[in-house]
Amino acid sequence: MTAMKRIMWCGVIAFMLNGSAVSASPPAKLALQGGRIIPVVGEDIAVGTILIENGKIAAIGKDVEIPYDAMVVDVSGQVLFPGMVDVHSSRGLDIRNEPLPVTPFLDVYDAFDPSKLYFEDALRDGVTSIHVIVANNCVIGGLSRVVHPIGITPDEMTQDVHTSLKLSIAPKRRSDRMVQMATLRETFLELSDYLEDLAETKYEESLEDKDEKIDVGPDEAIERGRKLIRSDDYDDKHANLVKLTRGKLGAFVYCETGGDVSRAIKLAKDNGFFDRMTFVLGAACYKAAAEIKASKRPVVLGPELIYRERNAITGEMTETFVPEVFADARIKFSLLPNPNGSLGERYLNYQAARCVRNGVTRKKALSSITINPAKALGMKDRIGSLEVGKIANIVVFSGDPLDFNSWVDQVYVNGIRAYSRETDVRLNRLFGDETSETQSEDDKDKIDEEVPAKDAVEKAKSAAPVGDKIDAETKGTDESKQGS
Amino acid sequence: MIAYYPLRSCNTFNNFLGVRALALLLGFAIFGAGIVRAEDSGKSGRIAVRAGKVITMDKDDVVVNNAVILIKDGKIVRVGEASKVKIPQGYRVIDALDRWVVPGLIDCHNHTAGSLMDLNDMVYLTNPGLRTLETVMPESENIKQGRAGGVTSVLLIPGSGTNMSGFGTVTKMGGDTVDDMVMRSPGSLKIAQAGNPEWYWFGVGRSYMNYNTRQTLLKAKAYHESWEAFESGDSAVEPDYNPIFAGFRGLFSREFPVSVHTQIYQVLMTTVDMLTKKLKLRTVLDHCTFDAFKLAPLVTKTDAYTVNGPRQFWFDRSQRKMNGNAARWWQGGVHKLGINTDAPVIPQEELPYQAAMACWYGWLPYPALRGLTRIPSEALMVDKRIGSIEVGKDADLGIWTGDPIDPRSSCELTIIDGRIVYDADVRRRF
Repeated sequence: MTAMKRIMWCGVIAFMLNGSAVSASPPAKLALQGGRIIPVVGEDIAVGTILIENGKIAAIGKDVEIPYDAMVVDVSGQVLFPGMVDVHSSRGLDIRNEPLPVTPFLDVYDAFDPSKLYFEDALRDGVTSIHVIVANNCVIGGLSRVVHPIGITPDEMTQDVHTSLKLSIAPKRRSDRMVQMATLRETFLELSDYLEDLAETKYEESLEDKDEKIDVGPDEAIERGRKLIRSDDYDDKHANLVKLTRGKLGAFVYCETGGDVSRAIKLAKDNGFFDRMTFVLGAACYKAAAEIKASKRPVVLGPELIYRERNAITGEMTETFVPEVFADARIKFSLLPNPNGSLGERYLNYQAARCVRNGVTRKKALSSITINPAKALGMKDRIGSLEVGKIANIVVFSGDPLDFNSWVDQVYVNGIRAYSRETDVRLNRLFGDETSETQSEDDKDKIDEEVPAKDAVEKAKSAAPVGDKIDAETKGTDESKQGS
Repeated sequence: MIAYYPLRSCNTFNNFLGVRALALLLGFAIFGAGIVRAEDSGKSGRIAVRAGKVITMDKDDVVVNNAVILIKDGKIVRVGEASKVKIPQGYRVIDALDRWVVPGLIDCHNHTAGSLMDLNDMVYLTNPGLRTLETVMPESENIKQGRAGGVTSVLLIPGSGTNMSGFGTVTKMGGDTVDDMVMRSPGSLKIAQAGNPEWYWFGVGRSYMNYNTRQTLLKAKAYHESWEAFESGDSAVEPDYNPIFAGFRGLFSREFPVSVHTQIYQVLMTTVDMLTKKLKLRTVLDHCTFDAFKLAPLVTKTDAYTVNGPRQFWFDRSQRKMNGNAARWWQGGVHKLGINTDAPVIPQEELPYQAAMACWYGWLPYPALRGLTRIPSEALMVDKRIGSIEVGKDADLGIWTGDPIDPRSSCELTIIDGRIVYDADVRRRF
């Protein structure tokens, strides 16, 4: 597993570039015909068709009339499932958190690496929307965004400049809870001081044009000045905090323990972002389930789903399967993959399958990796289920999504086929025998044609774009290695 | 072998000169090459080079065989076939009939023309007020070494320890004083997009670095625009002079480029996005190594110059494949492509060796030679003066035993501004 992981981490393949090539022009109309449809919202359809028009789902059902000009893809025997949503991921960034504790003025845009293997893996695993946000080791982190895993620049990948800020109630590394909360309080206190100063300055500026000076006293001056502030008056250190406190930005707030939850709620209520808050919860937070339920805020769980606690006297270990507690309390939650897990935890559908094993209903488990995260991101009208009018982010599984023997066969993003298992170079290399046998005949011709590098360059000059060229050459090289 | 023929008719005088030359030669052997200037023809001197092959590197890529180059007052006054160009009286003739004459090589990423002690000021993450003009060091051993490799001009830039380490200087590799050497200051603004600055203080990530660099540039841009408004009459308020941002005016009016230390995919992507596209700066992408070549489709849509090196290859472990960086850029359609050494990371004199490696990994020799001469001169926006052998340009030449890209070739003679600054016959360096 580690060796495999190492190979997979080792670089970027031309796949990304191919991905962007397909993003150029999707077919106007596309029908996925004859598959089992699990729309998540609404009833399953045993055998049905999804019609995609201009990247959106135009029709879905048992008897969908396929227009004469639609390209038809036969998915009989396969399962159509909404593209999964990774609701909280920092794996597309260069480092998970900046060393600076308070950075509301930063944007993941500046640290975002489309060439990370993570994005390629996301497609391979059936994840079509990723909320790129800094990790939990912060006090206030920067702006986030929602992307899909195709494209060669962040702009091409961006689905929504969703722009939440990240806050952490749990202490930043080498800090403690008292300092953490003090820093948070201080940040918002400094913000209100800044706003008062700005208001006073604006009021005084407004007097400059007038001849008569009216001394109204500082409080009144601030009150009058507040009305004069325009949105571009805020400096960039404070602009996002102002948006946050006025409910114009989301807040993903990390809590590690049950106690953190009440502190998060108080902080959010005191500073005006409670209505836009999403909980990101460590496993121990299940103890605050009642408080979380009462708050009615969206919940993101994980990636650890089991909480273990040892009795200090008897040494007895208690294990709690956290999603079960939340499901029993009728709290809707989203799941996170665990990239460091030694089993299948890095797959969202595996995490959902574990929930089913531990007594969570199938419906709730499927929602926790699709529609619930879409709601948490404020994108429930666009992603997270297979419904008419939504973006055509569709995964074609070879079997049931919760069956771990199922493969992701195809992935559609915005109605574009962004992934196909048949042409997955890396997968073929890892599990290649049966697939590469059939390809080798064609590739043998390529070896014969192999020419010294300089000639190849001259040939390439006139012909293929970089990505394609790399593919062709790689196959050639590999075959020759196997031969020798 | 290169011989000099002083064009004098008097035999006795000639003999006398011969003896004196011999004495001088002995002197060179003892005192080193510094004395060469005593014997060369000086700034007002006239030199005729009779060359077997002249690679002019002009826009039409003309190659002249059996050619004569006339040099007067430090400039090239005539280039043509020997049968058509008569050498006038008073010209000292350099015979290089079995040699190649190529434009002086240019390295647009260099740290050795100045003191190596003053590369990085590590107090702030961006240092807009600094410039390498303060560090230029004429006639250093590094410069002499570079000239022996046919290198005649460099962009001396500060190091990449911080995101913005100051303004670079375009210098000649000859001249006794700083004024003699400097072609243009500021030569460029040096930005290190990421990489080394990540070690700053206790560590800093790209979201902060890019934010911080952008903020500094936006402040400088605002300063430039306030002066623009004043000078065009749009604003009556004369802005306060700011010595920190004054140097940026030429940058934003695109009189000189920004040279950017940028290497891997994400970093180069940010450079193109932030500096070239959004801030509309004339950009020279330096290094451009690892997997950055995959961004060729992005780079070709801009006017940025790509100057690759010193790493010439990247092993793609996911594909188990060796990639020649320059070759990959070239294949991707990036033809404004040059080579640098990052001297002293790679010794200055090994600039052509970098190009040789690039060719070994799949690039082409002629574009590679162009990538050492005309391309860097265009990238640095000094192509009106250097980068090719054309009438009116500075007489910066190298006389080589063969193609400079061929590692077997050696530079035998280097001329800067019409002065011989290296002569292997007098003292061979390597």
